Amino acid sequence: MTDLIPEPALGADAPMRREIGAVTLTERTDVGLASLALRAAASEPAPFGLILPGPGDSVVLQDKGAFWTGPGQWMIEGSENGDFAATVAAEAPGCSVTEQTDGWVVLDLVAPAEALGTLLERLVNLPPEALTPGKATRTLMHHMSVVLIRRSDSRLTVMGMRSLAGSLWHALEDTAARLA
Amino acid sequence: MLIPHPLLGPRDAQEFTYLGDARLIDRPDGMAEGAGAAFHDYLYLRDNPAGPHRELWYHEHGDRSWLVVTRDTTTHEILGAELVKGPGR
Repeated sequence: MTDLIPEPALGADAPMRREIGAVTLTERTDVGLASLALRAAASEPAPFGLILPGPGDSVVLQDKGAFWTGPGQWMIEGSENGDFAATVAAEAPGCSVTEQTDGWVVLDLVAPAEALGTLLERLVNLPPEALTPGKATRTLMHHMSVVLIRRSDSRLTVMGMRSLAGSLWHALEDTAARLA
Repeated sequence: MLIPHPLLGPRDAQEFTYLGDARLIDRPDGMAEGAGAAFHDYLYLRDNPAGPHRELWYHEHGDRSWLVVTRDTTTHEILGAELVKGPGR
């Protein structure tokens, strides 16, 4: 059987990376994603020891993470690229788990806190307190649905639908270039 | 226009889609006596108030929750927003 190697979402041979002024934009291909939803009257699991976060929040524990996506729903992140949903399902018995890894493009923005703040002012219509470190939220950016996760003062993860990876990259690159 | 999401705070109205009168939640029982008349009223007879109006908004580009938003139809002032509670929510 042919040994197939998945292409990065942006279509290059290797994950894209660009430095624009103080901003570094990187495509991540090492993220495993699975959604986790509670069924009716189910109790909250603690997959990989993660205490599932409340609205607008995220948690990280070693190489695993989780962020809130809706009432009774979370996205679980891991560094595994195989069958991540199966790994999560084993940790969350009785919950609905769906593989999400290949559905998303994951981009990391690294910049000094001030530059990141200025960039966010132009990209999303959210109050700054909705994106303080540890916060994660889904919103609109350039008419695209995205998930924003503020990892720290200087690091932001932007997740968008894989099919619009190019447009998302363009929007971020363009905005960063105008501020550089 | 900003919608005060009960869980996520103020959100741009662009993140939402609008469905209509919040009375749509109270769907009549289709198997009951006089269901035809009840569905006629449910489907066609809506109030169209000039003033506060309770309506359904869906947070499509957010947490995908349904909200009942009270909006003044004459000024577009948002007077409140609450999560829709019901089976499976």
